Amino acid sequence: MADELLSPVRTPQRAQAWTQSYAPLPGIPDEFIGPDGKPRAYWRGFLDSLGQFDQDDLDQRLATAERRIREGGVSYRIPGETNEQSWPLSGLPLLISQAEWNEISAGVVQRAQLLDRIIADLYGDGRLVRDGALPAAVVAGSPEFLRPLAGAKPFGGRWLQFYAADIGRGPDGRWWVLGDRTQAPSGAGYALANRLVTSQAFPGLYRDMNVQRLAPFFRAFRDGLAHAAERSDPRICLLTPGAFSQTYFEQAYLARYLGFLLVEGADLVYADGKMHVRTIAGLKRADVIWRRIDAEWCDPLELNGASRLGVPGMIEAIRQGKVSMANMPGAGLLEARAFQAFMPGLARHLLGEDLRLPNIATWWCGQERQRREVLEQLDHLSVSGAFANQLPGFDGRHSALVSELSLAERERLVEAMTARGMDYVGQEVVRLSTTPSWETGGGRAQLVPRPFVLRVFAAATPDGWQVLPGGFCRVSDRSDARAVSMDASVRSADVWVLSDKPVEMETLLPSGDDVRIIRLLGNLPSRAADNLYWFGRYLERVEAILRIVRALVAKALDPDAPTRVDHGPAERLQRLLVSWDAAPRVVASSLSLDMAQSALHDENNYGSALSNTIAARRAASSIRERLSPDVWLLVGRLENILRKPLGQSAVEAGVLEQSEQALQVIAAIAGFVNENMNRVAGWNFLDMGRRIERGINTLRFASQFAGDDADLELLDVLLDLIDSQITYRSRYLTGATLAPVRDMTLLDAFNPRSVAFQAARIEEHLAGLPSLRETGMLEQPRQIALKLKSDLAVEDARRLTGQTIYDYENRLVSLAIAVADRYFLHDASEPSPGKVRGLA
Amino acid sequence: MIYDVTHVTSYEYELPVASADFLLHLTPHEGNGQHVIETRIEIDPPALDMQARRDFFGNRTTVLKITRPHQALDIRTVSRIEVERPQVPAAALTRPWEAVARDALNAPSLGPQSPVHFLYASRLAYLSTPATQFARESFAPGRPILEAGIALMTRIRDEFRYVPGTTAISTPLAQVFEQRSGVCQDFAHLMIAGLRGLGLSAAYVSGYIRTIPPRGQPRLQGADASHAWVSLWCGAEFGWIGLDPTNALLIGDDHVEVAIGRDYSDVSPVKGVFIGSGRDSLSVSVDVAPVAA
Repeated sequence: MADELLSPVRTPQRAQAWTQSYAPLPGIPDEFIGPDGKPRAYWRGFLDSLGQFDQDDLDQRLATAERRIREGGVSYRIPGETNEQSWPLSGLPLLISQAEWNEISAGVVQRAQLLDRIIADLYGDGRLVRDGALPAAVVAGSPEFLRPLAGAKPFGGRWLQFYAADIGRGPDGRWWVLGDRTQAPSGAGYALANRLVTSQAFPGLYRDMNVQRLAPFFRAFRDGLAHAAERSDPRICLLTPGAFSQTYFEQAYLARYLGFLLVEGADLVYADGKMHVRTIAGLKRADVIWRRIDAEWCDPLELNGASRLGVPGMIEAIRQGKVSMANMPGAGLLEARAFQAFMPGLARHLLGEDLRLPNIATWWCGQERQRREVLEQLDHLSVSGAFANQLPGFDGRHSALVSELSLAERERLVEAMTARGMDYVGQEVVRLSTTPSWETGGGRAQLVPRPFVLRVFAAATPDGWQVLPGGFCRVSDRSDARAVSMDASVRSADVWVLSDKPVEMETLLPSGDDVRIIRLLGNLPSRAADNLYWFGRYLERVEAILRIVRALVAKALDPDAPTRVDHGPAERLQRLLVSWDAAPRVVASSLSLDMAQSALHDENNYGSALSNTIAARRAASSIRERLSPDVWLLVGRLENILRKPLGQSAVEAGVLEQSEQALQVIAAIAGFVNENMNRVAGWNFLDMGRRIERGINTLRFASQFAGDDADLELLDVLLDLIDSQITYRSRYLTGATLAPVRDMTLLDAFNPRSVAFQAARIEEHLAGLPSLRETGMLEQPRQIALKLKSDLAVEDARRLTGQTIYDYENRLVSLAIAVADRYFLHDASEPSPGKVRGLA
Repeated sequence: MIYDVTHVTSYEYELPVASADFLLHLTPHEGNGQHVIETRIEIDPPALDMQARRDFFGNRTTVLKITRPHQALDIRTVSRIEVERPQVPAAALTRPWEAVARDALNAPSLGPQSPVHFLYASRLAYLSTPATQFARESFAPGRPILEAGIALMTRIRDEFRYVPGTTAISTPLAQVFEQRSGVCQDFAHLMIAGLRGLGLSAAYVSGYIRTIPPRGQPRLQGADASHAWVSLWCGAEFGWIGLDPTNALLIGDDHVEVAIGRDYSDVSPVKGVFIGSGRDSLSVSVDVAPVAA
C-alpha cells in the first residue's frame, strides 16, 4: 500500500468527488454501488488508489495504454473493410470479487460440462431425443447440426474443448447467461492484450489489488489440447480463415503466445488418412487443430462446397480419429437460441442439478404451448431467430423488441410465427447491470454508469474444466443499451478478479502473462515461406523503383547534364519504369517529373512503388505472427509516404526528397529484419526474396546502362543506381569505364549490391534449408544457385557482353521459378496478382 | 422395369491439374421400390484411392483422390436397376396437411428418414415469401396433403416453362419466379421452398427419368439428363411420396432414384476440388435405356 502514502491529502477528495457525481440508473444494479446504495469496498479501494495519480498523470497513462494497443496492432476488422481498426480500450477494468467469481466460475464449468454432454449425445446415442428431453426438430433445425459428424468419436471423447459464455448481471442481481459460444469463441486474445496494457499502465494498483493472473489458464488450455492428441509431442495448429478475418490479429497473437503454428486451409493436406502441414521440409503431421473457422467451412467435400478455407478430407480424418479438432465440427449447434429454452430441463435430466447460472428465459415457438405463451405476453418479450442470427422475415435484423415494432410489423411477425413457429424464440428482455466508465464532459473526466457484457472462457484440461479468471468485457458507450455488440460505440475493458490473498509469487512479474520459452516455431509452412519471400521481393522492387525515380529527377535537376535526346539516360530510366509497369505505357507527357510521380504514387500502375508496397503489406499481413510490430509499423509508414503525391505544383527537389525519405524507411525495415529477426527459415526466405529481386534488377540496370553501347554518361547513372559512386571513385582515378563498372556491378564479391554478392547469399540461404532428398543429391534450386555463384566468381569483366549479361538474368529468373516450385504451395485458390503478372 | 443407366461426367482442363478430390453421389440407392442389380464407377485417369461410403441420409457415396497430373477426367457410372414401385395411395385418403405438418415437427426421431431434417430452409432451398404464397394457393385449410401436393406440382408444370440453360445451380428462386422458367432443379427447389414455407417436410431427390421418344422415332443415346424432383412427407402412415413438378407426375416406374437430401447441395452427383490454375469445362451425358425383358 506504499502508493497510498504518496499524497495522502488529495486522495480521499478526488475519489469522493468521483463517487459523489456517480449516479446509478434507477432500478438497475451497478458494479460500483452495491444494492445497499454504498460503494463496494473493492471499488472504493481502487478509486482511492487511482485518485493518487494527478489528472495529467492519469491521462498520460491512459493515452499510453491506448497507443500501445494501437501500435501493437491490437485491432479488428469491420466486415467489408480492408483496413483495421484498433480496439478502443476502456480506462477502467471491470472489478469482480473472488467470492462472486467463484460462483460465476462454478456456473460456467457446470454449463461447459452440460453442453459437452448434450453435444456428445446428439451426435452419438441420441438418448435425449429418444427420451423426449429434447425435440428432434430443435436439433435438426440448427444449421450447425452437421450430419457428416453423426457417429464420430472425438479423441478423448470431448466435443467441446474451449467454451465461452456471454454473461451479464440481471435486475435481480444474479449473473445470467446471455449466450453460449461453442463454435470457435473469440476474445481470449483480446483479453490477454488488454491485460498486458492495463497492468503496465497501473503496475502498483495491479499488484496491490491481488488481481488473478491469466497465464496459468492459457498453459492449462495448451496442455488440454496436447492431451487430446494421439502422439505425445503433438504439432498444434491454429487454423485461421486468413488475414481478412475480423479477428485475425487475435489469432496471430494467440498463435504466437501459445507457440502454435498459424495455418490456413491451403497449408493443410489430407493424405494417408491423416492431416499434414505443407512445410518447406515436406509434409509434417498436424495432430491437433484449434479452429477459428466455422465448421461449415472446414471441408469443401463433405460440408459447404464453396469453401476455400478448408481442406478436402478433413472431416474423414476427424472421423478416423487421426486429427483432433477443437472444438469438434458440429459443436456450434448449441449456439442456436432455441436450445436455451431446454437448458434448465436438460441440466436436471443429465446432471440432476439446477443451472447454477440461469440463462435468459426462452421459449421455442416450435412447440404449441410455448408459442401460445409467447404470443400471450408478446409485448414484453424480444423475438429472435431460433437458429439463425437474423430474425427470419425481417432482413438484417438481429432480433425485435416487440413493444417497439410498428403495428404492421407486429402483425407480420405474429403471422410468421403462426406459420413457422419453429424458426422463432421469444426471450425475456434483460436489462444489464452497469459498471463505471470515464466520460469527459466540460474538460473534466467523470464516472458514469454503462451497461456491459462479460465473456467468460473455459478450457477442457487434463484436470477438468478451468475458467480464465478474467475475460473479455464489452462496455457500451450508451446508457440505455440493451444489447451490447461489437460496434463502434463499444469499448473493451480488462477484467480484474480480485483475490482475497496475494497472488502467487511466480506470476508477480509485471508481464507475468508473457513467459514461455520457445526457440523454433517448428517447420515453416510453405505458405508462410511464400509470403516472406514475396514480402522481400516486393520491398526490393520498391527500392529499385525509388532509385530509378531518384536518378530520373536528379538528371532533370542537373544543369550540366548533356542534352542528348535519343537513348539518353532519362529515356532509358523511363523505359525501365514502363517495362515494370511502374508508369503507364502511353503517356500524355514524357516529362521526367510527371513520370516519376506516376511511378511513385499511382495505384493504377500495378508496378508502381505504391502498388508494390501494398502488395508487400498484403504479403506481410498474413504472416503477422512472424514479423515484429516495428516492421509492420514501418511498412505502414512507407505506404503513407507513397500515398501523398505532391501534386501539380511539385518540383523536382520535392520528389527527390520524398523518394529519399521512402528509401530511408526501406533501409530501416532492412535493418530491423537483419538485427531483430531470428536466423531461422523464415529469415532465409525473406532475405532470399530480396537477393533474387536485387540480382534481377541489377542485371536489368546493367543491360540498360552497361550494354555494349554504353558511354560515360550511362555508366555514371548505373553507379548511381547501385549506390557505388564513392567506391568506384576511391578505386579508379579514371571516369566510369565499361569493364571496371561491369565488374563492380556484376562480379565484385565485396560489393553488397553486385550480382555475385546476391548469388553467394542466395546459395547460402538454400544450403541452410531442409532437403527433401535423402540421397545427398542437391535439389534443383541449389544446383542452379551453386552453378550461378561459381560462374560469376570465375567470370572476367572484360569478356562480358550484353548477351552474357542477359543470359545471367535469365538464369536468375529460372532460379526464382525453381525456388517457387520447390518450396511454395501451388494452389489456384490464392494466386497473388503480382506474381502472375508483374515480377518474373 | 429394368434400366441400364450410363452417366458420364467429363472435365477438360485448360492447364494440367496437379491433384483432385471428389465426392460422388452417382450410385443409385436400394429400396423404395427399386433394386440395384449391378453398379460400378470407372475413373480415367485411375484414382489413387477410391472409397465407397454412406452419407447421413443413407445415400451411397464414393470419395476419390487423383494425385497424378492430368488434363482431362472421365467419371463413368454404369448401373442396372430394376424398378417396381408400390401403388401410390389415393390422394383423398391422406390426412389434412396441417395435421401432417404438426406430426412432422413433433417427430420423435433424428434418424435419416425422419421428417425433421427436411422442415427447414437449406442452402439452395431457402424460404421465400413468393414461394410460400404460391404454394398456399393449393393448400386450402383441411385439404388432404397429397391432393394439395399434386395440385401444387401441376401448377408449377403449367405456369413455369421448362427451358434448359436459363438457370444455373446458383440461380436464386426469386429469379426463377420472375422469369417463370427453369429446369428440373429449379422446380424442385421452388416446390420444396413453398412446402417448407407452409411448415411441411419436403426432400430433394436426384435421379433419372426414362424419356420416351416421339412415336416412330428411335431413342437417342446419351440425350437424357439427370433429373430431380420432390419427395413429400405425407404422415407416418404413408411416409414419403415422390412428386415430379417438371412433368407433373407421381414417381413411378419411369423414375430411377439416386440420392435424397435437403437440396441439390446434399446430393450433387459430382462435387470436387482440384488444384490447378486454368479454367475447366464440364460435359455430362446420361443414357437411360430400358432393358428388354
